[in-house]
Amino acid sequence: MPGPTPDGPTREAVRARLDRVTDPELDRSIVELEYVDDIEIDAGSVTVHLTLPTAWCSPAFAWMMAVDARTEVEELPAVERARIYLREHMHEIEINRGVNAGRSFAEAFPDAEDTVDAVRAELDRKARTARQYDAVEALLEAGLDPETIVSLRPQDLERTDGDDQLSIYLADRAVAVSAPAEPIERYLEKARETGLADADADPLFLTPEGEPIDPEAFELVHRRGRLAQVNMSSQGGICDGLRESRERRLEASD
Amino acid sequence: MYDHNGEEIFVIDGHVHLWDATEGNITHEGGEEFIQCFYDYHTTFTPEDRQWSIEEYRKYGPDRMVEDLFENAAADMAIFQPTYLTDFYGDGFNTTEQNAELATEYPERFVLNGTFDPRDGEEGLEYLEELHDTYDIQGVKLYTAEWRGESKGWRLDDEDAFEFLEKCEELGIENIHAHKGPTIRPLNRDAFDVGDVDDAASSFPDLNFVVEHVGLPRLDDFCWIAAQEPNVYGGLAVAAPFAQNRPAKFSEILSELLWWLGEDRVLFGSDYAIWNPDWLVEAVLEAELTQEDRMEYGVEWDLETKRKVMGENAAELYDIDIDEKKRQFREDEISERFGLEDHYASDAPAAADD
Repeated sequence: MPGPTPDGPTREAVRARLDRVTDPELDRSIVELEYVDDIEIDAGSVTVHLTLPTAWCSPAFAWMMAVDARTEVEELPAVERARIYLREHMHEIEINRGVNAGRSFAEAFPDAEDTVDAVRAELDRKARTARQYDAVEALLEAGLDPETIVSLRPQDLERTDGDDQLSIYLADRAVAVSAPAEPIERYLEKARETGLADADADPLFLTPEGEPIDPEAFELVHRRGRLAQVNMSSQGGICDGLRESRERRLEASD
Repeated sequence: MYDHNGEEIFVIDGHVHLWDATEGNITHEGGEEFIQCFYDYHTTFTPEDRQWSIEEYRKYGPDRMVEDLFENAAADMAIFQPTYLTDFYGDGFNTTEQNAELATEYPERFVLNGTFDPRDGEEGLEYLEELHDTYDIQGVKLYTAEWRGESKGWRLDDEDAFEFLEKCEELGIENIHAHKGPTIRPLNRDAFDVGDVDDAASSFPDLNFVVEHVGLPRLDDFCWIAAQEPNVYGGLAVAAPFAQNRPAKFSEILSELLWWLGEDRVLFGSDYAIWNPDWLVEAVLEAELTQEDRMEYGVEWDLETKRKVMGENAAELYDIDIDEKKRQFREDEISERFGLEDHYASDAPAAADD
């Protein structure tokens, strides 16, 4: 018999952890996208049910979301064990068993040609490129010129606690410019996840390929960021549409 | 022709099929999954009152197809893009031979494309030659994610594929349409990666590579390749129906395409029967770019651009003389059948709405 279980987490705490999980193709939270159907809490044991927009949503993407959801929820001190169940997915058995047993994607899908890491790296690259667009827009808005923007390094940024603005120090720290923190930090989070803009003296912004930006190529790189956003939101439009028609069909058959 | 505020727009639907997904033709569960997936795309992006039942969707036949395309002059011409899928469907899903039934009956109205699959080797090269000899094809539609036995796909930049592209060059088959679009269950999504178009396009500068579905969900990769390869074009099938229920998104996608590729390298296609030109043409032509997008991208969806995207660009690729076609259509069989002689005779087109 297991010993007495501690009090479980609150539903809000679980949702907050799940909110950190993104649909890797859309770079949007699975909570915001309404993929989370149901959260069951039984003391330290949490069960999350997810439904994706289509039954044939890429197994690699579905796998990433399920694994990330499990990892995030298990980060909560009050959670001993999180189980994730996908519903209505063509590979739900393999994914649910694999993720909840802690297997690797390759073990669950021996036929898969690409590793889930390679797929994740590619989607992270696109998410970083798209987030960079918003960060750079914020800096342009704050009055910085392209040449200055491409020369920035993480060490030039400073955040004061409790403030929603960042200070950007220019000209050997002689001048400070203020810009909204949110888009820049959101960008940095993704850049660092992929091992970029990590050291204080690294370039802050990069081309989609991960190279420093030549000032002459600034406009083109910025356009590519916008393009990455349009691509993601277009795919989001397809996913939304498919989910809506799927829901209509499921309702009609009830 | 579409009457756009009194101006004629000649419409070449660059992407149509005549398929057979009846249960009797399905030989592998993949065939059923495939048509059901198509049907989901159909219902998701079709106005509710224009949706078909799954039964009519499985096989609609040549008569209905001619009516849908031409009865109201929604389209003036159409280009058949075959999709064989012979591992899923006994007689194939939508083969050149199946398409030829209509295309040879109305050769003035249809362009018939062939296909090749490098996994067929020597036999495949002979088949390509045979298609060229029989139908004088000027283009091929390629489906890199098609299953063939153990193989789940192939790449355009494979050595074997290059041999087929060389054959196309030799035969004068200049237009290479590659399906690079949304994953269709049960096919593997990675086989629709657009990266292989890059190498093929730069290795064969005399061929035109039309990336169907503009690479969605890889619009970014596609536009970046197209910006560097002048012989890469974008086919609007799948993006087009956004005009109907996601107009702001359509505006953004179109603005990106016009910015990266310019107005000469984007081609309209309905993907019939996934979507039907009898409502889609109007939805696309009446769509507007948002004020923000026009400012940001500096592009216009104006009459001149519409004429190019809806017909002139395809006419250029397939050596179609639009003025000659208009004269021909004053008295061809289709115009007689649907009473469209006047439509093509006068300067101002007759009202063609249903």
